[in-house]
Amino acid sequence: MPNRLLVRRPSPTTVSFTVSNASKRSTPSAKLLLVLQVICRILLFTCVLLVGFARLRHSLYGDEAFNLHWNAIWSSRIGAIACRIADTYNLAGIALVSALVIYGVFRRGHTEESLLVIRGLGIQTSTSSTSYLSKAATRFIPTTQIQDIVIHEAFKGFEVRFYLAVIVEGESDVVVVFPKLLPKRQILEEVWRGSRHCLYEAKS
Amino acid sequence: MISDYFFPQPAGGVESHIYQLSTKLIDRGHKVIIITHQYEGRTGVRYLTNGLKVYHVPFFVIYRETTMPTVFSFFPIFRNIVIREQIQIVHGHASLSSFCIEGILHARTMGLRTVFTDHSLFGFADAASILTNKLLKFCLSDVDHVICVSHTCKENTVLRASLDPLMVSVIPNAVVAENFQPLSYTPHSNYRVPGVPPDRRAVPPQIGPDDTITIVVISRLFYNKGTDLLIAAIPRILASHRNVRFVIAGSGPKAIDLEQMLERNVLQDKVEMLGSVRHEEVRDVMVRGQIYLHPSLTEAFGTVIVEAASCGLYVVCTRVGGIPEVLPQHMTTFAKPEEDDIVIATGKAIAALRSNKVRTDRFHDQVKMMYSWTDVAERTERVYKGICGDISQEEFYGRYYGQAWKASEDRVRSFALIDRLKRYYGCGVWAGKLFCLCVVIDYLIYVVLEMWFPRAKIDIARSWPKKLHSSGDKRFSISSRGHDRQNSGSSHH
Repeated sequence: MPNRLLVRRPSPTTVSFTVSNASKRSTPSAKLLLVLQVICRILLFTCVLLVGFARLRHSLYGDEAFNLHWNAIWSSRIGAIACRIADTYNLAGIALVSALVIYGVFRRGHTEESLLVIRGLGIQTSTSSTSYLSKAATRFIPTTQIQDIVIHEAFKGFEVRFYLAVIVEGESDVVVVFPKLLPKRQILEEVWRGSRHCLYEAKS
Repeated sequence: MISDYFFPQPAGGVESHIYQLSTKLIDRGHKVIIITHQYEGRTGVRYLTNGLKVYHVPFFVIYRETTMPTVFSFFPIFRNIVIREQIQIVHGHASLSSFCIEGILHARTMGLRTVFTDHSLFGFADAASILTNKLLKFCLSDVDHVICVSHTCKENTVLRASLDPLMVSVIPNAVVAENFQPLSYTPHSNYRVPGVPPDRRAVPPQIGPDDTITIVVISRLFYNKGTDLLIAAIPRILASHRNVRFVIAGSGPKAIDLEQMLERNVLQDKVEMLGSVRHEEVRDVMVRGQIYLHPSLTEAFGTVIVEAASCGLYVVCTRVGGIPEVLPQHMTTFAKPEEDDIVIATGKAIAALRSNKVRTDRFHDQVKMMYSWTDVAERTERVYKGICGDISQEEFYGRYYGQAWKASEDRVRSFALIDRLKRYYGCGVWAGKLFCLCVVIDYLIYVVLEMWFPRAKIDIARSWPKKLHSSGDKRFSISSRGHDRQNSGSSHH
């Protein structure tokens, strides 16, 4: 999926650049697919929960826990299947499969990385995490510590890639912006120009 | 430019050759990048003066700064660099560099023109040479053009790789004469002043019969640089001549032997050992002496003796390899590469200096006229144009009326795989088949790479802007102003 750049300027002194490799979903069929995907994820998650509860139905809680009529559930068709699965397979297998399904359900299909520039304050980089459960990793660098923002090249795997980096005062390593996606040079140049303009040029 | 040997390793002929040639080619309007392997603390992409871009590719180093020969593993990254920099000509340097040999192989697979510069001489007899020669043959059987630094080197390379001699050009090394000026040098313009004969100039300081003469030796102390000869000759020279001192700069495995010899003969007060010196300091060491002694056993060109002559030193050197071609008779005394002869030759040189027969003060201007990098760059550029077809075949290779012209068709190396295989197959009974196998695998890898990392997805790097505005922020100019892109690749059309 090609990387896309989204520039937002909520105020004249603030710019946010977001690079994402998510697909656009502009056509109706793509939107329908997204809805289906969400429903699928919810269903899978409930299934895992159900099997889990079925496994523990004798031990942990009584008949009326969580204000649910568990007996009614277990006697329904889906409940019966869940109970059968929970009883026939051993615990380790169920735990493993559930863990995998949960990982799949919460896995984010795309990466989104952003750079937020606020004049006079600093810049914040953020990288979305791989799952929906954890938060994005962010890093804030105050203006006083920013020495420069540069585009350079480096070896990455079998390739030479461009990257945008912030040189931070007092640190031996630079902070790479968009470290996972490493977008194309064209995008980087736009971000570089925009961020420099926002940080420095308006001042002089 | 591609080679294993490049700065920041202590400079030898190859490194400075690559650097100077690249700089001059950039001045002539080409785009040049250098690919070399990583050095301690230096990996990645770097810019040198004038926008010369150096790729320090992370690879293992096994022996004397040479990378592991891993035939194919370098290909993906090489292809990436070549595409993103829009390279048209790949120019490899130094035959022992596996980077260079692999680079040329891959470049041919990718359909690029290749040039190879040989900087060294090899024997034919021992096992290592046979292996190296086979490798060289492999590399050169498909190269477009070869450049050698001296005629001896050309002869050697033609024999080793069984090449068509017309495909080999001789372009010598050069020196930056400004960096190697004698101690008391004033740039005079006696050639322009009419009526004043050159001899009217201030007579140089005369050397009296009892003045101390210092002999300078600057070389890496390896076997092939003749350090053993030096060790044998020094005590004899010092014994037969009073008022002679030695200054030896350089380091290497033979340094211990040299020191042992000094201790054995108690010559520490007459011989000064400086250890390794940086290339910028070479001149300062050279001007301390009057004679430069070069005992090398094998040398393709010997840039250092040109530098020495440029500093106004009288040169005593061995008559090996390409050395006799380098300097005119009046600047040098030649010796056979053996102990007795070196002692005799040095004696002669000392006598000649003491009798003030040698005008060493004029050496600098003469060397300046003979060797310049601009000239080297011009001649290299002509080779590039020749292989790209900018210069017609007849003009580039010379017209030979007696010769049937069809013989030359082989000189234009077609990129078709079957033609390449034919050329490689001729390399030897077993080697030919092995080389063919390598080429076929290389080609398959290329096809896979084209599918895996499509060309269209590789970012094209911006060229260094041609005219630098004031001194502005260096980084700023890398990425913000790269508008002139017409000079892509190494060649200018």
